[in-house]
Amino acid sequence: MANKSIDTIKYGLLRIIDVSGFTIFDPVVRLLFGEEPAKQTSKILKYIVIPTIFLFVCIWLWASIAPTHKTKSGQVPTPSQVIETVETNYRQYEREQEKKTAFLTTGSERDAQIKAAKERLKSLEEESKAAQSELTKVEESSLTEIENNLAPFKKEIEAIAAKLKTLTSSAKTEQTALADAIAAGTAKPETLIQAIADFETQKEALTEKRSELNKQLTEAREDPDALKAARLRANAVANEIQHTNSVIDHYEKKNREYQVNELMTKADAAAALASSSKDPKDILKAAKDQVRNTKKIEDVQEREYAPTSTVFWHQIKRSIFTVFVGFVIAAVIAIPIGMMCGLNRIAMACFTPIISIFKPVSPVVWLLIFQIIVGAFFPDPENHPLFVLSSTLPFIQDLGVNPAMVFSACTVAMCAVWPALVNTALAVSSIEQDHLNVARVLKLGFFDRLFKIIIPSSLPLVFAGLRISLGVGWMVLIAAEALSSSDGLGKFVWDEYQNGSSFSFANIIMACFIVGIIGFFLDRLMICLQRLVSFDEDGATV
Amino acid sequence: MSFLELKDVSIGFGPVSNRYEVLQNVNLSIKENEFVAVIGFSGSGKSTLMNLLAGLEKPDKGEVLLRGQPITGPGPELGMMFQNYSLLPWMSVYENIDLAVRSARPEIARSERKDYIMHYISMVKLDHAPDKKPHELSGGMRQRASLARTLCIRPEVLLLDEPLSALDALTRSDLQDEILRIWGEDKKTVVMITNDVDEAVLMTDRIVPLTMGPAATLDTPFEVNMARPRDRYTLNNNQEFIRLKTDITSYMMGLSQEKKKAAAAKVPMPDIAPKDFSLPSKRLGFKNLQAVSPASSSKA
Amino acid sequence: MKNTLFKSSLLALAGLSTLSAEQLDIEKDELKLGFIKLTDCAPLVIAKEKGFFDEEGLSVEVIAQPNWKQLLDNVINGELDGAHMLSGQPLAATIGFGTKAHIVTAYTLDLNGNGITVSNAVWEQMQENDPKLAVDQPPHPITADSLVPVVEGKLSEGEKLQMGMVFPVSTHNYEIRYWLASAGIHPGMYTSQDIKGFTDAQVELSVTPPPQMPATLESGNISGYCVGEPWNQQAVSKGIGVPVTTNYDIWKNNPEKVFGVTKQWSEENPETHTAVVKALIRAGKWLDATDESGAFLNREEACRLLSKPNYVGADYDVLKNSMTGHFFFQRSDKREMPEFNVFFKDHASYPWYSDGIWFLTQMRRWGQITEAKPASWYHETAKSVYLPDVYKAAAKHLLEEGHITESDIPWDSDGYKTATSDFIDGISYDAKKPISYINSHKIGLKDPAELDNQ
Repeated sequence: MANKSIDTIKYGLLRIIDVSGFTIFDPVVRLLFGEEPAKQTSKILKYIVIPTIFLFVCIWLWASIAPTHKTKSGQVPTPSQVIETVETNYRQYEREQEKKTAFLTTGSERDAQIKAAKERLKSLEEESKAAQSELTKVEESSLTEIENNLAPFKKEIEAIAAKLKTLTSSAKTEQTALADAIAAGTAKPETLIQAIADFETQKEALTEKRSELNKQLTEAREDPDALKAARLRANAVANEIQHTNSVIDHYEKKNREYQVNELMTKADAAAALASSSKDPKDILKAAKDQVRNTKKIEDVQEREYAPTSTVFWHQIKRSIFTVFVGFVIAAVIAIPIGMMCGLNRIAMACFTPIISIFKPVSPVVWLLIFQIIVGAFFPDPENHPLFVLSSTLPFIQDLGVNPAMVFSACTVAMCAVWPALVNTALAVSSIEQDHLNVARVLKLGFFDRLFKIIIPSSLPLVFAGLRISLGVGWMVLIAAEALSSSDGLGKFVWDEYQNGSSFSFANIIMACFIVGIIGFFLDRLMICLQRLVSFDEDGATV
Repeated sequence: MSFLELKDVSIGFGPVSNRYEVLQNVNLSIKENEFVAVIGFSGSGKSTLMNLLAGLEKPDKGEVLLRGQPITGPGPELGMMFQNYSLLPWMSVYENIDLAVRSARPEIARSERKDYIMHYISMVKLDHAPDKKPHELSGGMRQRASLARTLCIRPEVLLLDEPLSALDALTRSDLQDEILRIWGEDKKTVVMITNDVDEAVLMTDRIVPLTMGPAATLDTPFEVNMARPRDRYTLNNNQEFIRLKTDITSYMMGLSQEKKKAAAAKVPMPDIAPKDFSLPSKRLGFKNLQAVSPASSSKA
Repeated sequence: MKNTLFKSSLLALAGLSTLSAEQLDIEKDELKLGFIKLTDCAPLVIAKEKGFFDEEGLSVEVIAQPNWKQLLDNVINGELDGAHMLSGQPLAATIGFGTKAHIVTAYTLDLNGNGITVSNAVWEQMQENDPKLAVDQPPHPITADSLVPVVEGKLSEGEKLQMGMVFPVSTHNYEIRYWLASAGIHPGMYTSQDIKGFTDAQVELSVTPPPQMPATLESGNISGYCVGEPWNQQAVSKGIGVPVTTNYDIWKNNPEKVFGVTKQWSEENPETHTAVVKALIRAGKWLDATDESGAFLNREEACRLLSKPNYVGADYDVLKNSMTGHFFFQRSDKREMPEFNVFFKDHASYPWYSDGIWFLTQMRRWGQITEAKPASWYHETAKSVYLPDVYKAAAKHLLEEGHITESDIPWDSDGYKTATSDFIDGISYDAKKPISYINSHKIGLKDPAELDNQ
């Protein structure tokens, strides 16, 4: 009995692994349940351990090559630097959350928090002082160090300049003398030409050497690593101070409750004025103000924290949402049209030229086209029903649906529609004749034929197409976001590229991994779906 | 009077310039409740003949008559059992039969339907596996399920297109007995296509040989005048059985020899891949798309 | 009893603000403002981060835009309420060069702030042509005279020197053209057929987005560029180029960026517009605040804020150079440039008609305006784009609230700065006579002189 339930668990797990496509874990599960340990161990060794080692070798290669590859635009970040940026980004997210909490905190909690924050600030300031003095020290020492490094180069350059000078002046006298001699008939013109040519070569050699030295000089002026490190430390503390200040601001004058109180005080004053003043003008004005204030107070009470647009989590969520919107649009368009094409040769003939022409068009072109087309539908985005609606829906309201998102999604849809469409058409048109004959023999009606035969039989191939569509869509989305500045991972990459700070490169690499990992999971998701709808064991393989 | 009749039927495929005549001047007359086998080599047009009888194809010339009325199209009265089972793989055995019952026998009330279906399932001895999907079944079980589906619509004519050719010998004889049993219980007109002489002699009343294609036609039938039930274990000693087997085999071999001679005498014909005919939709329309389709990669 | 006392004392306190200044009745309190990653977006960032927008009751999102074209499009289609714009953009959009839309501005974000950077190779050649430059700290201003042989050398090889600027109607385009033309190098004319501005060019100027400038320079596609900060300092810190001059040398205290909104938006949200300008004026004043010795008080903090990845995002140390009044011309050549970025002082943020007219004269000079126009057209166009009234209204509120002083604002100005000849070539500019100014340049289109009186 117990054995049986263990078997149920085991095969359940194996089934999950199979459906999700992580078949490499199959031997692990089998080993855990004690099935043929030797065979499973060898499988694990072959398909898990060796690939893992290979992965680590790759990372090691990266880690060892990256620091040696220095371009002028920056240095290739090492794996540890990339991991560090993950932390930095997470900290940034936390800081945003902290500010948000500060904005919403009320009552005595607020006072306590302000006090705590101010204390934190004090200790930070001390830390900063220490870091600053350290920095000044390092700066001074590195200045002298650089000067010392530069001295030999400078000397050499000066020497070359002096040489050039003497060379030029001696050549000049020599050449004039020769010219005179030629005029007097005591020398041949060839000698003069030879002399000038010699002079030119010598001069060129010297100038070349000088520019080489100049290059080295510039490189020697590069800040030493110690200075860079000291700067980083000082900056980190200063940033923390800045953040703490900003948090205090959010507890104090930017705090929602504080703002409401302010307005209420004003409103009270106006009300008092209205009741005490004798001047009808004043009374009128005060009454007006009161109405306004009441409305304003309501507005402020409802006001949400205005988040900084660059919050990494937010961007990931938004990108995934956008890609799904685009994907759903694509599927809704592609599947019916694909079915039509597959069922009807005339429809196929009608759509083939359209598909053939538009399929190879670059996503960038679609983006630009949709930007213009979609823009025309939303002359007043603030009040468009679609966006008003989306700002009331749970989950979606935080994402900030806007025209940029709509046309990014449309671009995704436009590029993702083709694989799904072609695959659907192919799936429907290549249904086994036998299955169709069955339908004919049974005299199935159109809908029975569609739902009982055509759709189920084409589903695996349709899902294979959808899987490709989602992959294409994800790739397209990142490009579309980068170009359209629709908030998301693509924009994050683009912004980081534009920032050009010393962390940017690491951030881009991090984003590259995140995009890849999300793409991987999206693909897995589609594989699972594909496997669930496939009716044959070997009908749909990975 | 004949129950099912082929009258001067000809059918061919391809454009005029490259016409391939599959069948020419085929005549066949089948009596009610007769069990007839059509025997022929692969590629000689047996399946086309079956499709004509089932109404899935229309003859170019001549006519196909059921009770003297021309067949206009496929229908439940012509129960076709396909060569490769053609069960719908996304449905269980029960669902496959259910689909057939619903559409072909709508008069059966919902409440009775289950019993009706289970009756046929047990008739083919699949009581233990009504909920299994086709891919979970062995070849013989699939063929049984297919048979049950064909029988449940109660056709007037049962058309069996090489029903047993994909099975191993043991399963095959088992199923032969099964078909004979069912036929015995519930007399029906049956046309079976086969390439197995033993099978044909064992099971049928009359064996009609199909000559080699192209332009194949039906030759003089061999009557099988052996008493039923026939016992396969003693049959090998039956003189009539041995005679028929020898006659038919030598006739078939003769056909093959002739064909070879004719082929040797003629300039070799271009290969026009007759297998394409069975799937016209694959042949037309999607060539261009397939070339650029990612579907090929999806199978990777 | 206590209550009334409390109320009356409050009344006395609050009376000032509630009574004397009409409270702004904001039409729209959640705004989206766009910017490009350049240090001169600082007033927008500061107004948000220091809470100046909040104090006006505005909840503002400040959003980075990928390029000037998209920024303008987003303002026009309503996706953004307003944005950090090139001075030429509202004018060009209003007269229909490029995308047509009536854009107005009531606030000048900053003066100066650009530099011209050349590649190391070109710099070496310039040093050879002019030995005075071959020292650690060459004398300024550096004119394009030493570039002439480089250009001619290229031409004799059948090539044209390629340089980058950020937008056809950007200050940078006019500045680099001014700099080149002042040394007799022809930067090319725009015509109705040639919208790239390559006609007759000895040096071809192409559009590159600011953040891509250093990379494009390094890849060798261009040999120099004119761009705002931090992209010149970036070239120095990466060692890929040498800033030869800043626009401070080309035209001292030239207007650079403005805060632009559509005319329609301004008309629909007049009070909101005023409130935004109020916050911006305070941000500008905060940015330019100095102690008694003239050292900037808040610039370091501003750099910290700007270095956040969602704003300019460049390294703090790079931003700090120019913003705190230093400029690295080479690694060896760090100079004090206290006026490299001017945000507020000397009435810098006032929307001067004369600034608008200067851009219009340059557009005419280089053929972007294809027809000769009378002087009155220049004045009218400038007046339809620059809105000093909104600025003054905002300033009045601020004065009453005690945030600025009387002398901060040129209350009685007619909107024209006095004529100046603070240009690299010493030509005098008088906004009242645009046509004679156009005609006073050696290179560029000339218009009939009598148009000045029409």
